[in-house]
Formats: sequence, structure tokens, C-alpha cells
Amino acid sequence: MKVVAAVARKELRDAVNSSWLLMYAALFTVLALGLSYLGERNLGSVGFENFSRTTASVLNLCLLLAPLAALSLGAGAIAGERDRGALTYLLSQPLDRWELLAGKFAGLSASIALATVAGFGAAGVVIAFYATSLDVGTYLLLVVLVLALVCVMTGLGLVASVISATRVQALGLALLIWFMAVFVFDLLLIGMVSATSLGGGGLMIALLANPVEIVRVLAIIQLEPDLQILGPFGSYLMERVGTGGATAILSVALAAWIVVPVALAAWLFEVREA
Amino acid sequence: MTQSTPRSDERQMSVEQGGPAPILRVAALSKRYGRAQILQDVTFDVPAGSVVALLGANGAGKTTTLKCILGVIPFEGSVDVAGIPVRRHGKDARRRIGYVPQSPALSEGDTCDQALTFFAEIKGVAKSRVPELLELVNLVPQRATKIGHLSGGMRQRLALAAALLADPPLLLLDEPAASLDVESRRDLQQLIAGLRDEGKTVILSTHFLDHLDEVADRALILHEGRLAFDGSLDDLARRARSNRYVVNLNGNAPATFLQALSSAGIGPERVQKAELGWEEILLATAQEREGDARPAREEAP
Repeated sequence: MKVVAAVARKELRDAVNSSWLLMYAALFTVLALGLSYLGERNLGSVGFENFSRTTASVLNLCLLLAPLAALSLGAGAIAGERDRGALTYLLSQPLDRWELLAGKFAGLSASIALATVAGFGAAGVVIAFYATSLDVGTYLLLVVLVLALVCVMTGLGLVASVISATRVQALGLALLIWFMAVFVFDLLLIGMVSATSLGGGGLMIALLANPVEIVRVLAIIQLEPDLQILGPFGSYLMERVGTGGATAILSVALAAWIVVPVALAAWLFEVREA
Repeated sequence: MTQSTPRSDERQMSVEQGGPAPILRVAALSKRYGRAQILQDVTFDVPAGSVVALLGANGAGKTTTLKCILGVIPFEGSVDVAGIPVRRHGKDARRRIGYVPQSPALSEGDTCDQALTFFAEIKGVAKSRVPELLELVNLVPQRATKIGHLSGGMRQRLALAAALLADPPLLLLDEPAASLDVESRRDLQQLIAGLRDEGKTVILSTHFLDHLDEVADRALILHEGRLAFDGSLDDLARRARSNRYVVNLNGNAPATFLQALSSAGIGPERVQKAELGWEEILLATAQEREGDARPAREEAP
């Protein structure tokens, strides 16, 4: 584990020094601050609902930006080293390939998590200042959910990085995954539901197939289990298994989404040539 | 021309007497990239404590051979480092190898200190080794300098320091002199000689053949992915000279001599001064190998 920790520390240092991460942190913090300030100021008299809605806005921003940052950084992790001829040099050291990959995963996830927490923290201060009622536990839970999504997307970015010949190709693939997960997936499935009358099982699979949707539904369940804003897949799940069951199923699925892409990336990295 | 140092003579003798066990054993090594056969059936042993020059033209397979020894690319055949099969126990084998690539791709944003500390952590070496190694490669004044601001030669030296961190018995140096000026090249030669004196085994892939005999005691020549020569530098020089003669023209113009040969039906391939440098020797050996592979082609002696 010392090797993994060494690679992770270096990755964290590189990320902190890079302009990409600073830009993401700055953009996210500014937008989160803006959203929370405007949300709280305009809805200042509505009490707890105000907290939920403002937090949901910040969460939606997270679901948009955090996956993009995680996918981009993950995509550059291996392909970038390969591009600049550093991969062979790294692999010539006494380490296993999985150790290099695990270290990069841990370091990148931690760096994006730091930037995300900074944004969330800033927004949290504003919300706390204006909100008439504040549920710190729920807020922290949302932060944890977003960090879990960061891990998922970093893993998917690593898969893109390992299978791509160049950094540009890996970034292209990462952007495609982001676009599909954040924008296209919902629309595509709603279209499929109406066109093919997707059954209960189909709806469940559809929900579990998109980690962004899993986090969104999980977050809404914690904030305000309103069937209208849960969307078709979340509503179906809530009706079938209730809040506890839905939370359990989605949490297990999210954990699997964290483990499987990293494991897949490690396996592909092992069998593919440097 | 080739005068081996007394040390290399002693070493050669001890190898012949069944001395040091091979630190590196390469058997039937083959490597293919798509349709291109980069290495074919390459077999050699490297006894501990020797300095071996890995020679060959661009694309001959030198760097690929080093990558196979490191176990960073898949290959056919077997490679054992200190008795450890690289294919099955790559990490353990790499603990015994220090590698300096042709263009060390170090993180530009790291300082020399940070880079060496990172490698020390990976190799499980105490961080106290870092200043020692910086001193060894004369980079103490640059310890806080970012790698992006270092010259090619300094980066090469830093990579050498990284390779030496864990005090490995086997060093693989891929074109280590490529980015060095004449003075730094001299320093490198001295450093390699010092490593040899410490009992390290060095495999040196190089294009710079000047003073080769002062550094290496053995040569491996790769030609189009096959091992064209494996032996001492003395043998290499002797072999290359075996079909070459020094003709004293005794005052006659070379043209007269050539004309006389031509009249006798003998067409010499070329006439050149008999004192061959290492580059000519390398070229001649490679050409010889080419001749072996194509028996139909007739060559003048």
C-alpha cells in the first residue's frame, strides 16, 4: 500500500499544481456561492423547504460539474503519461500496474473531492447564514453522495484512459460519457419507456445503469421525497420498495459503480501493452 | 587498438573459469508489434559485474530488448534477472534493476528533490538517500529547481540518480550519453567505470562508440532484431578485421593498385584506412550478419 500512497500523493500534488483543478474549484465555488446566495435571498421566508430547494440547486450544479472534472482528469491519467513517454518509465519501477492505477485513482479522486468540498463548504456557509432551518446531517450526506459520484466518474475516466491510444482520444471518450450520463440518458430512456412500454424491471435497470441518476434520486430521497421531482425511475422505485428499500438498493448500486470501473480499468491496464 | 582494462581482463577470465553467475539470462526472446518482428530468438547471458554495450542501428531492437528485460511489455521467450523470471515476478525483478531511459519523462513541475523522494518511496528506500544521490550526480545546487528548468543532461543525471536509489545490482542505461556534452559524457564514463568497480552490472545501449573499450568489456550487437554478435570487444575487433588487410602501397598511388587488382579480376568493395574505429567495426559486423542471411549475394573480400 506504500506504493499506492506514494503515487496518490504525487497525483494529488500534480493536480493541485495544475490549472485544470484550480479552474474547476474556482468555477464551482463561484457558481455554488451564487446559487445558494440567490436561492436563500429570494426564498428566505419559506423555512426548511427553502434549505432543501437551495441545496438541491447546488446539488444539480454538482451533478453537472463534478462528473466532468472527474472524467477529464481520469481520462488524462494513463493516456497522458503514455503521450509524454512517461508510462514506460513509471512501469519500469518496482510496482504493479494495479498499484499505479489505484494510486492515480485515489490521488485524482481526492483532488477533485477537495475542490468539490471547497465549493460545497462555501455554499454551506451562505445557506447556514440565511436559512431559517438547517439540517447539517443531510447537507453532509449530500456532500458524501457527490464525492461517491466523483469516485465513479474518476474510475470511468480511467477506463477511457486505459483503452485510448492518446490523451485527446481519452478526453473525447470521457466527454461522450459525461454527455450521455448527464444529458442524453434520461431523454433516451423516457423515449424508450413511452415507445416500448418498458416494464418495472426495465425501469429499475435503467435507473441503476446511470450513476448520475442514482446519486440524484438518492439525494432527493434524503432531501424531499417528492415523487414529482424524483422522475419516472425514482418514482417507480419509491412506490415499489419505499424509502428504506430504495436507499439500500441505490447505495449498493452506487458502491458497485465505484468498484467496477476501477477494477475494469485495472484489468484492462494489465492486459494491454504500455 | 582495443586495449581492455586490467579489470575487464580479470573479469573475462573469471567468467571463463565459471566465475560469477549470470545476473541476466535472456533466452529465445522474441517480440512482435503487429506484423513487424522487432526481436527474434535473442539469447544471451550477462555475468554479474560486467559492463555490456548493447549496440545496433536505429530500429535494431535495443530499446525493445531493454523493455523486455524490465518486463514492461509482453514478449515470447524468457528473461531472468538474478534468477527471478521477469514475466511472472516483474515487480521483484525490477527491484534489482535501475533503468535510465533515453529521454527521461519526469514530471516537469516537480523539483529534483521531490522527484527523487517520489522514486525513493516507490522503491521503499529511506529518504536520506536522496541528498546522497543528488551529490553523486552533481545536482545538489539544483535540488530545489523544477525539472522543467533543467537541461537534457541534468535530467539524464537525475534519472541516473533515481536508478541508483535502491542500489540495484543491474543497471540498464538507454542511450545515456545522448543529451550530454563532451565533458558530461566523460563524467558519465567515469561514473560507469566506478559502478563497475563497485561490482554493478551495466547494460549500456549506445550510439556513442568513442572510448567504448574504456567502459565496456563486452558487446552485444543487434541487427534487424537478431543477435549478430555476442562477445568481448577484443573478439569483436578481431572478427571485424579478419577479412581486412593493410596494404603498404610503397609509394604507388592507390589508383595504380586498384587498377592492378581490377586487371586480375578482383574488385575490392572499398579501400579505406585499416585503423578501424568502433563505428566501422559495428557496421562491418552488422554487414557480415546481413551477408550470412543472404548467401546468394557475393561480396569482394
